[in-house]
Amino acid sequence: MDRATVERVARAAHIKLTEDELRRYSDDLNDILTYFELLDEAPECDASGVNPVEVADVLRDDEPHMDIDPDLLLRDMDTYERYIRGPRLS
Amino acid sequence: MKIGLEIHVQLPTRSKMFCSCPTTDAPAPNTHVCPTCLGMPGSRPVLNRKVLEYGIMLAKMLGCKVADVTWFSRKTYFYPDMSKSVQITQYDNPIGEGGVYYLGKKPIRITRIHVEEDPGKTKRVGDLSSLIDYNRSGIPLAEIVTEPDLSTPAEAREFLGQLIEDIRHVIDLPGDGERSIRCDCNISVGKERCEVKNVTGLKNVERALTFEVVRQTKILKAGGKIDRETRRFDEERGVTISVRKKEFEADYGYIDEPDLGIYHIKEMADSIKIKESPQKMAARISAEYGIDQKMAKQLVSASVGLAETFEAVAKESGVQNAVKWVAGPVSAGWKAMEARGGTPDEAVGIIRRFAAGEITDTECAMEIRCAMTGESAEAAAGASQDLERIVSEYLDQNPEIVSDYAKNEKAANKAIGFVMRNSGGKHSSAEVVEAVKRLIESRMRSHGVR
Amino acid sequence: MTMRDVLSGLKETNARYSMFHSMTDDVDPGDAKFLFSAKDNLTSKDMETCAGSKILIGYRPAFDAAAISKMRDAGGKLIGKCNMDEFGFGTFSYNSGLEIPRNPYDLERACGGSSGGSACAAAVFEGHVSLGVSTGGSICCPASFCGVYGIAPTYGRVSRYGLIDYGNSLDKIGIISADAGDLRRYIRVIAGKDPRDPTSCVQPELRDEGRKMRSVAVPKEGIEGLSKEVEAAFKESLESLKGMGLDVEYVEMPSLKYAMPAYYVLATSEASTNLARYVGMRYGQQEGDHSLKFDDYFSSFRSEYFGDEAKRRILLGTYTRMAGFRDRYYAKALKVRQVVIRDYKRVLADHDAVLAPTMPFTAPRFDDISKMSALDSYKADYLTVPANIAGTPHMSAPCGYDSNGMPIGMQFVADHWNEEVLFDIAERWQRSFEARRPEVKA
Repeated sequence: MDRATVERVARAAHIKLTEDELRRYSDDLNDILTYFELLDEAPECDASGVNPVEVADVLRDDEPHMDIDPDLLLRDMDTYERYIRGPRLS
Repeated sequence: MKIGLEIHVQLPTRSKMFCSCPTTDAPAPNTHVCPTCLGMPGSRPVLNRKVLEYGIMLAKMLGCKVADVTWFSRKTYFYPDMSKSVQITQYDNPIGEGGVYYLGKKPIRITRIHVEEDPGKTKRVGDLSSLIDYNRSGIPLAEIVTEPDLSTPAEAREFLGQLIEDIRHVIDLPGDGERSIRCDCNISVGKERCEVKNVTGLKNVERALTFEVVRQTKILKAGGKIDRETRRFDEERGVTISVRKKEFEADYGYIDEPDLGIYHIKEMADSIKIKESPQKMAARISAEYGIDQKMAKQLVSASVGLAETFEAVAKESGVQNAVKWVAGPVSAGWKAMEARGGTPDEAVGIIRRFAAGEITDTECAMEIRCAMTGESAEAAAGASQDLERIVSEYLDQNPEIVSDYAKNEKAANKAIGFVMRNSGGKHSSAEVVEAVKRLIESRMRSHGVR
Repeated sequence: MTMRDVLSGLKETNARYSMFHSMTDDVDPGDAKFLFSAKDNLTSKDMETCAGSKILIGYRPAFDAAAISKMRDAGGKLIGKCNMDEFGFGTFSYNSGLEIPRNPYDLERACGGSSGGSACAAAVFEGHVSLGVSTGGSICCPASFCGVYGIAPTYGRVSRYGLIDYGNSLDKIGIISADAGDLRRYIRVIAGKDPRDPTSCVQPELRDEGRKMRSVAVPKEGIEGLSKEVEAAFKESLESLKGMGLDVEYVEMPSLKYAMPAYYVLATSEASTNLARYVGMRYGQQEGDHSLKFDDYFSSFRSEYFGDEAKRRILLGTYTRMAGFRDRYYAKALKVRQVVIRDYKRVLADHDAVLAPTMPFTAPRFDDISKMSALDSYKADYLTVPANIAGTPHMSAPCGYDSNGMPIGMQFVADHWNEEVLFDIAERWQRSFEARRPEVKA
């Protein structure tokens, strides 16, 4: 994993890295990815699945209801006239 | 020129896609919210069954192959209105793939249809911060992706209009459905394409695409190169603006959504029968009863119920009577009948009696009028006699209208205009049109014109 | 020690061991039937929930995690939220943005991770039960290092509603206690379908029919790379098990070596998406300069408040699911998981459990941990990771002590949904194994 790739990954992940961190993480990730090369030789498998046990067809009925008072959810949020405040868009 | 669309339709469920918050209009910002749609740590999604059902209905309507097994994926991107910074959408194995949808006779290929959650809404305030309302967060959307088979902005608009009409009918989308439909428009005049994101409404889709055609053509003519990029449409100024270049596109890093599992939807899909879409119904009626496409379309777009009445009468009393009476006075009175919550059954019975020779032409017209509008027989008789008298007198004075009409139906417009101006607003335009055409045609028959 | 004693000495005890990030002020147990604690990645209405991260300081959940509310309903009183590696990212509870729990047998040593505070509380407080969470071994590892019993049930057995996610296809909530009988007692309390967590809705009933553990398979791959003392204690334990009437057979499980890389790929891929939501809005840290453009605003919070290991795992997980690398890492790891599951099923067709030491060494000193590379500490998980990626239930029982008096543990892995044999062996083992309690001071 070269420096440019680490920078690209960090940008995608929204993490700013100092020069020192960039060097350190590049080294660590290279070690780790070298170890991960083991995966290339792992046997193939026709089975697949998102979960380790099959989770299938769990659905909810289309019935509206609210269990938690939204005011309770908003109590610790930075709000303005019930809008939740966030950073500038552009 | 190649145009492809990605159409987002809000699905009319009562509760949100992954939580039970209501989807109705909220009284204030952030009132229809819960830990799940706010992305609070510890919350979890549970899928609304109805979302899969609507997705399957639309997949069928679009002629897509419905997947046997479908599942969800996480699309990661950072934006203030995306509460988890992750959108639960579909990547591998969407609900439907590989469909075709006909715009008239032209096939428009449908790449795929999948379902996903809507983000919240952001309000811009000055330069200092943004304000977010998460009431919309988690509303279910269907995304329909077409191949770049559309050739002009006007065609794209026509396609979208027709598609919306069909969608509205098939999944009972409420009347304000157009605003709840958003579109990403991909367009290439030359080789490279641009994407105009998040355009709302038919007119804006055509405007945005037209602007792009002009912009891209100018650049190409001047020997320039189109940059692959994402743009947005400024509705007020009618222009598209670059948002980001291709190389700065987010890498969404899709992974399977591990909180939901998979869905075997084959059985569900087999058990769902969708209503015939208006476009298909018009095409079928035109072919089945040998009437022209324009009339079939008019019937269907006035009301699917009217078109169904047409079919019932055609089967029972012949196509001729269906054309004469259903496309005529039944259609004229349809709105009035709907307004008072009536049914067309009585009118169908009246036409049956006419076909059996039990009542005359004039009686039939009058009785249908009563049946549709709910007026008393006397009032209807009076009104219709008044109307017929005015029409007859005008046709007596202007006999050339009858002979011209045989060559061109527009000849009736002169009579229609006169009657509208001189009947004191007592008759709807539909009624006037019906009466004028009926009386002209009856004179043509008795004069042997044809 | 009465419940009242525990409560009245809580703050002093915590000052010594740092097992809790937040704790109750109550000194009166009221009508509580028992006291319990929970890892701080389980939401609690009455206590701040931070999952070991600075970025969540100030998060007061509006809802209790399903496991916590079930423990309360059963008469439990929540006394504290347990320190842990940030979001579960570690083997020693040393990667915390908050406080680091100390091993009750030696305060200069780690409790293990990532449910370190839970294992610490279970070892220190008499008659205490703690809720832990395991993603790659985070229940069995600290149970082993702190000389207590710990069970991670089958994936999906306990509702994850209210769990602050690390890797959603891997996370399992379980029980840690010094009393083996608590495993059965409290898994019964917290197990069951919950319509708020779809992955809990496919489970069969928890069986409790008196099924016994009769035979164990020891994989050759599971007894490599052990410290001498761990190896010796394990061998001795095998003899004891034989003495108890269990068949012990050595087997080969070639898939186990692939479990580690596959686990780290899946866990970090999922974690990097779960952690994307922490951007300085809505909960936790929110004091920031809103006039920054959103990308910069988000990045500033994430860079400031995520710890070193969290950043490393976010970077790794973002990379392994990125277009162009996804097939080689993420998609391949999903397949390798199936290979590992098949390997377990093959062995467990003939045996009631797969058995190996829980950790290859005993609790390390903090100064040694700080010298380990990231990869070194990942590799330390090679014994606990396979059962975790397979979602199979597994239980660690204390089985010896090294020359420093630090506990050694062994881990039994049963087939999906077969927790019952783990309860059985834990209870029988407790009767024959002489445990040494740590010397507890407040």
